[in-house]
Amino acid sequence: MSNATVVVVTSGKGGVGKTTTTAAIASALAKEGYQVCAIDFDVGLRNLDLIMGAERRVVFDLVNVVRGEASIKQALVRDKKLNNLYLLPASQTRDKDALTEEGVASVISELRMYFDWVICDSPAGIERGATLAMRHADEAIIVSNPEVSSVRDCDRIIGLLDAKTKIAEDGGRMPKHLMITRYDTERAKTGDMLATDDVVDILSVPLIGVVPESKDVLKASNVGLPITLSDENSPAAKAYTEAVRRLLGENIPVTIPEEKRSLLGKFFKGRAA
Amino acid sequence: MKFKGKSFIAIVLSPEPPFTDWLQEIDRIIVRSPGFFIDRPIILDVRGSKIPIDELEQLLEELGSRSIRVMGIDGVAGTRLKPGMPPSFSGGRLASDIDVPTPAAGGAAEDDADEPAAGPTAAKADKSAETPKPAAKSKGKAARATAETVAAPASVVSGSSIVITEPVRSGQSILHPEGDVTVIGSVSSGAEIIAGGSIHVYGALRGRALAGVSGKDCARIFCSKLDAELVSINGLYKVADDFDGALRNAPAQIRFEDETLVFEGLN
Repeated sequence: MSNATVVVVTSGKGGVGKTTTTAAIASALAKEGYQVCAIDFDVGLRNLDLIMGAERRVVFDLVNVVRGEASIKQALVRDKKLNNLYLLPASQTRDKDALTEEGVASVISELRMYFDWVICDSPAGIERGATLAMRHADEAIIVSNPEVSSVRDCDRIIGLLDAKTKIAEDGGRMPKHLMITRYDTERAKTGDMLATDDVVDILSVPLIGVVPESKDVLKASNVGLPITLSDENSPAAKAYTEAVRRLLGENIPVTIPEEKRSLLGKFFKGRAA
Repeated sequence: MKFKGKSFIAIVLSPEPPFTDWLQEIDRIIVRSPGFFIDRPIILDVRGSKIPIDELEQLLEELGSRSIRVMGIDGVAGTRLKPGMPPSFSGGRLASDIDVPTPAAGGAAEDDADEPAAGPTAAKADKSAETPKPAAKSKGKAARATAETVAAPASVVSGSSIVITEPVRSGQSILHPEGDVTVIGSVSSGAEIIAGGSIHVYGALRGRALAGVSGKDCARIFCSKLDAELVSINGLYKVADDFDGALRNAPAQIRFEDETLVFEGLN
């Protein structure tokens, strides 16, 4: 029997990479040997099951569990590759009002007993779904793209993390980590994107990783495999793996992705057929 | 010719006899928040009170002496009103209640009820205790109520000024009509600081800063990095587009002088 750390992956804005990050972090943690459960809180617009390739095996979902129509064990879907990675899917046919605060609280406290890590994939927005996802978390991963609207929305979410969560209400401070995703090396070079330093400066939250914009991520999503499992050597997967090591307490410097071309690469540049 | 329609939300004052007590309550509100009734459309609602016209005239005089200008009277037929009185008004839809400002007990105000008050709770307790109950029945939605005020993070109260020791995040609003606000950290884009006195930001000011809101010309705004969306002192405001470009991202102070805002570098 263990007592899990509950991590919420949140951002405010949609489309920044919360679900991808949740899947990547959860599977990277599982690869380290931990018992991991990923929960999809995006009731009505669930996606985590697709990204994790579990959509064909979903029987019960979070709403069923919250309402007592199914037990947690019935609803958990085990990952195909890693047998210590589980998914608690969201319901696609219900909406976020189907979640109750007490129901979510009891689900999380039960999961705490079975797992080492519980990763909550928050829906976009600052409404019920998002606040319930963050409510019982111990730590938060804030996902931001290096652009102003995403940064501002993250700022808003950080404010809520410090006001509306259980930890905050008990007078504590939730540890927060900043994950910058879809970092475009090309655009960073030309300067038409916020620099990571600026994002960190605006949000004043420690950086846990910078994930480059990459086709590998899209490819991985489409085949239903978290990037950290499908292509371990891609820069994005490496960034997530490093982030997980930092989450586990290792003190390693954050690598900012840059265009690295070997001499050979430079030589053959533009010649590949 | 075309006329434009515009809707405003008015404060509805419903005087209750004895009027001397009622006026005392009004005075108390004015002491607490000198700007509360200024430049707000105000309607006097005397429906059901069958107030004699002479008494009404007296009441209007009393209100006038407090610089409360009544724009219309609800509940008296226009024909009964004396010349010089505000016109008769009727109809209108009821809006939500306007909060009477919290007393000067200190502390950032929190008005979003379901936000936990991490800051001083004294302000809230006093609010319920001292708010004149139905005496000044203020209806409508005050402008400040539209801004979601999140609990002031870790604020330290000292006298009439407050110190916020954490960054003020987007969507948060620190309201302290009684004195100075000092922020150790940045004020994010989309956040706002409203202070009766001066505003000091030891960090980047990226949001809005409104100083001297209760009529203080001498209030100033100081910040270590000026990147504000809007700054205002005693109601006079300037938006980022109108700032002097030379001071952008530099340490700066803003003060009120001869009906203009003066921006100066802090070096």
